[in-house]
Amino acid sequence: MAFKSRDTRAMIDRYRWWEVVAIYAGMFCFLFFLLSPFIEGFLVSLKPLAQLFSSPYRFWPENGTFAAYVSMWETVPGFARYVFNSFLISTISTCIVLLLVVPAAYAFARFDYRGMGLVLGGFLAVSMFSGAVLLIPLFRLMRTMGLLNTYFAMIIPGAAFLIPSAIWLLRTYMMRIPTELNEAAYMDGASQFYTFRRVILPIARPGIIVVAIVTFIGAYSQQFIFALTFNSKTEYMPLPIGLYAYFGKQEVIWNELMAASFVGIAPALVIIFFLQRYLVGGLTAGAVKQ
Amino acid sequence: MGQLSLKTVIKTFGDFQVVKGVSLDVTEGEFVVFVGPSGCGKSTLLRMIAGLEHTTAGDIVIDGKRVNDLPPVKRGIAMVFQSYALYPHMTVFENIAFPLRVEKAPEEVIRKKVAEAAAILHLETRLQQKPGQLSGGQRQRVAIGRAIVRQPEIFLFDEPLSNLDAALRADMRIELTRLHKQLGATMIYVTHDQVEAMTMADRIVVLNAGYIAQVGAPLELYHKPQNTFVAGFIGNPRMNFLPVTCTGVSAAGVEVDYQGQRLHLPVAPRPGIEGATLSLGIRPEHITLGAGEATLRITPSVVEQLGQQTIGYATLPGREETFCFVLPGTRVIEDDKPLDIGFAASECHLFDAEGQAFERSIDLAALTVPSAV
Repeated sequence: MAFKSRDTRAMIDRYRWWEVVAIYAGMFCFLFFLLSPFIEGFLVSLKPLAQLFSSPYRFWPENGTFAAYVSMWETVPGFARYVFNSFLISTISTCIVLLLVVPAAYAFARFDYRGMGLVLGGFLAVSMFSGAVLLIPLFRLMRTMGLLNTYFAMIIPGAAFLIPSAIWLLRTYMMRIPTELNEAAYMDGASQFYTFRRVILPIARPGIIVVAIVTFIGAYSQQFIFALTFNSKTEYMPLPIGLYAYFGKQEVIWNELMAASFVGIAPALVIIFFLQRYLVGGLTAGAVKQ
Repeated sequence: MGQLSLKTVIKTFGDFQVVKGVSLDVTEGEFVVFVGPSGCGKSTLLRMIAGLEHTTAGDIVIDGKRVNDLPPVKRGIAMVFQSYALYPHMTVFENIAFPLRVEKAPEEVIRKKVAEAAAILHLETRLQQKPGQLSGGQRQRVAIGRAIVRQPEIFLFDEPLSNLDAALRADMRIELTRLHKQLGATMIYVTHDQVEAMTMADRIVVLNAGYIAQVGAPLELYHKPQNTFVAGFIGNPRMNFLPVTCTGVSAAGVEVDYQGQRLHLPVAPRPGIEGATLSLGIRPEHITLGAGEATLRITPSVVEQLGQQTIGYATLPGREETFCFVLPGTRVIEDDKPLDIGFAASECHLFDAEGQAFERSIDLAALTVPSAV
């Protein structure tokens, strides 16, 4: 058996063979547990509708077909709009979160001032509230501000809910950037903003990307509750609500629903795939002697 | 240009005073080294000069101008950090050019100055590499390059070689001494390494618990330490101290008694010390094998053979501290076997009960090479 990775080789050297087998078996079980709903969902999307209700239930599709991936667009003509809405809401939410969180996390990581612990504790406390608890006050707020049935009704609360955890995540990352870099830049005459822009931001990029991914996923998944409460217009509906269109009066078109689910998460996957390329570990290598 | 004066400088963190009223004058082009044990305030003092720490009281004056409230860049100083503090996402060129980009220097000026600095530091072939691709010594040279391009009046070094291995440290010591001669700038250097201090400094400032214990040329500190702290700190292994009784004072020096042996030390006499208990200091490297003007019978518990010298450690009867001796070359000495060692009175130091030294009658000028300046 050839091992390409030196890390894997080191692992093999460290453990007995049966320990390695147990580790891989554990990982496989975990992955299977994690991925099995997706696998079955994908297999369902390949089955003709009649086959889904046949008895006994068959796991593997017979005469599998991608027909549902074509017919889903005809069943729900506005589906593309739902995907676009989801994408738009998540992207804008992520941009707002990053715009506010990056400088805030830097300030929390670098400056020491009276009451900082209290503010950080406050962020942690509010992030513990479930969105559902705050829905009624938020509804009144959105109505007062005239934002009901707009994109903003889903973007603003969504971003607000994601900010506290993002601040904590990025602050922790930024605290690991050596303070000597700030001092060196200060010695060289750089202003706080110049240091932030030219030194800290590039070094913090992997941390910012992680926050962007986590926020985007969070924004994508939490749209359901806000869309259901603050929006009744079809043209602003995001994907999670749009999927309900496949629940007909007589039946649920399961294969198209599953196909639509996979198509719907595709933009998110593309974004994550694109961003993860920038998750370069060890970017601070050589900055300071550890 | 490049003169620095510290006037009763104090630094307090909360209720804790780290620097306790330090006064010092550094002349233009001088290489001054701050040494002292951990926590003595040497790095804090350097950071105060740099402008990275607020000065609680006292004045920091550079070229006749009080700079306490000026940011580092307006003090005309540059600093090299112990940990290099390089920007990891930038190339060597961009790291060195950083201060010039901050001051918005024209591109051709940046290229010229970076090329000059790279030539001085032998970094010409590394300019497009990133810090992560460099060795420790090369990284430290980049950090020095970043300081050089600013053409400061004063360079500050905060233990710049302490992260390098022994061989590289020796090389960099020579390079820094050459650099000082080449640039002619004032340099203030913090270290806990005595070898660095002794080999590089024009003057050494020994700090102890926030105070200056002594300021002087390296050999002055070695031959004429003003107190037991400096005597013990300068020199490796550290000086041995033995309790002696003063038996007489004359114009030529002080006579002391150590366990029935009389030694006449050529030091500046003081009146009224007859009968007082004093402290006799003898450096390990001034001890010889066999009988001397004073002879001690010791039983070494540990013997270290380094080839070029033999170091022995013993405990004298009734004394807690270890007595150390260094003999040149390889000597056949066995552990736990008694032997006689001796020393000459002219090599000894004498300290009073407060630890203050009696000035030794040594002509330091005869020990130093006349300066070319």
